[in-house]
Amino acid sequence: MIEFDEQQQRMVLKLVYYGPALSGKTTNLLSLHDQLSLDGRGELMLLDTTEDRTIYFDLLPFFYVAPSGMKIKIKVYTVPGQVRHDATRKAVLQRADGVVFVADSQLGRMSVNFESFDNLEKNLSMVGLSIERLPLVVQFNKRDVADVVPEEEILRAWEPTGLPVVMASALNGSGVLETFGKILEATFDSMNARYGLTARFGVERETFLSGIMKVSK
Amino acid sequence: MMFDTPNLTFVVGEEKRLAEIISPAEIEPLLRSLIKAGPVWAAVLDEDGLPICRHGDGHQSDTLQEIRQSLLVEGEPRGTLIVASNPSQFQAAEPLALLARDALQLTVNNNLKRMLTTEIHTSVVQESYEQLVGINRNLAESERRYRELALSLEQKVEERTNELQKAYGKILQQEKLAAVGGLAAGMAHEINNPNGFILSNLTTFKKYLGRMSEMLGLYRLLASKDISSEQLKLMTEARWRELKLDFVLEDAQDLLSQSQQGAERIGKIVADLKSFSHVDETSGVAADLNLELKRTLSVMNLNMAPGTVIVQDLQPLPLFACNPGLLSQAFLNIIQNALQSNDKGLEVRISSKCEDGEIIIAVADNGRGIPADNLTRVFEPFFTTRDVGSGTGMGLTVARDIVHGVGGNMEIDSSAGLGTTVTIRLPLKDGSV
Repeated sequence: MIEFDEQQQRMVLKLVYYGPALSGKTTNLLSLHDQLSLDGRGELMLLDTTEDRTIYFDLLPFFYVAPSGMKIKIKVYTVPGQVRHDATRKAVLQRADGVVFVADSQLGRMSVNFESFDNLEKNLSMVGLSIERLPLVVQFNKRDVADVVPEEEILRAWEPTGLPVVMASALNGSGVLETFGKILEATFDSMNARYGLTARFGVERETFLSGIMKVSK
Repeated sequence: MMFDTPNLTFVVGEEKRLAEIISPAEIEPLLRSLIKAGPVWAAVLDEDGLPICRHGDGHQSDTLQEIRQSLLVEGEPRGTLIVASNPSQFQAAEPLALLARDALQLTVNNNLKRMLTTEIHTSVVQESYEQLVGINRNLAESERRYRELALSLEQKVEERTNELQKAYGKILQQEKLAAVGGLAAGMAHEINNPNGFILSNLTTFKKYLGRMSEMLGLYRLLASKDISSEQLKLMTEARWRELKLDFVLEDAQDLLSQSQQGAERIGKIVADLKSFSHVDETSGVAADLNLELKRTLSVMNLNMAPGTVIVQDLQPLPLFACNPGLLSQAFLNIIQNALQSNDKGLEVRISSKCEDGEIIIAVADNGRGIPADNLTRVFEPFFTTRDVGSGTGMGLTVARDIVHGVGGNMEIDSSAGLGTTVTIRLPLKDGSV
């Protein structure tokens, strides 16, 4: 968590979209930006350079104010997937409250996915987070592409991890909200268990989720 | 914004106050231009409503009309721009206030972007720096180890060499014992054989000696009596025949010369063994290798299967400086292999010659040969195809090491079913002709 000020009734959380290069992390954020109403979110900040599409990272903030006055801000980040930007990934992962792992469904990208997942596990432990306890959602993106690994096969491979797996096509926006909803739920539950969001600050799970995920008309 | 504080540690995404993002120096020129255009005063307030920058005369007054605009940080209202003007100028002031808000918002956004970039940079650089420090520490440590190692390397090499030499000496000794053990069996038989017939001859001779003593006693008795030579002849002739002394004298002759030969044979075996083992020689002796080959063969003759043909084609050789005992050991190992290469119809050809400044000794057999797979392994220590317990697997290894030890080399050439040839080449050192 980035910040929690009980007196000011303010909590700032961090979610990170992780995954191999070119798996569609930024596209996920762009799609969230398009699909969700400006009511619950801020502007998308793309910190990219001409040389490399995601040499730094992207940031999309979301806001929720409970009837009690408790303010929750969620900063959603992407990390650069390129192997050489490991230090940037580690820096962004610091104090994360939830991670979405965006994998590439295309045939022949499975080893890259596993490598990146390994890297996530390693970096989490290096910044002092446990992959066992951290809310984590896996998204298999690019379902719209022709040569993809069949869904049953993916589910069979990931089933032993017990992690929620979502099929998505960020380019057409399908599965993007589902993924975001799942990580929000998991993160809310984990925060609620630790800080008593509902009991102490009157933040209800359903209104929190619907408050942030307001679909734009 | 400046980041000149040393040892900054950022958490990416840490919340920032408006005053951290935009400075009065950046706001002030804008507010000043605003006032010039009409409004009485203008100010930028932070999250808590405290002014970051204020410009223009006047003060809060009922007569002035205030326009308030929010400044957003990451999409969240975090500050306020206040523009106050006289009611008469309000119409003109409103668009001016919006323009100023847009300009301030742009500055805030750009500064924030730069700050986020700087945060990442700082984190990455700091981490890289820590990694470098770590790498440097590891390098220093391994450099220290290498230096230590280098210092003690010579000593360690010497220790290891000594250990190896000791171990090798032990193996050589064992190999020699094994060879001697093999020889001993044949030798026991060879010594036992003549010894047996010498004993038997002596037993017979003892009997013969009895008869001869009896005859001599009779002569002595009769000689003391006064009898004629006719009578003497009559009385002894019958006894001579009874004791078969004609045969006894002849046979005794044979028995003794046979026994003598047997004893000589034993003597030769012992002499051969003694010269083969070179018990009274050390190294650096100028040796005739043909003589060594012959001695080796003579010790081994005892062990050969019947029907084995040994062909010797030994050309005169110059003397060769070496430890003849060791070289004989090599010859023995090679010839022993040849002798075991077949059960029937075995022919082993042993040749030596001196050519182009080197002595070439070859042992060729017409045995079963060595399969190609094994050929590359025959020099490996402990490699053997014989039954467990009957071969040490060290024979050729030791032979090759001995040959290398005197600066020579050893080749082995074999085809399965046709036979094997082992060739030893020993270069003559200058002056050893």
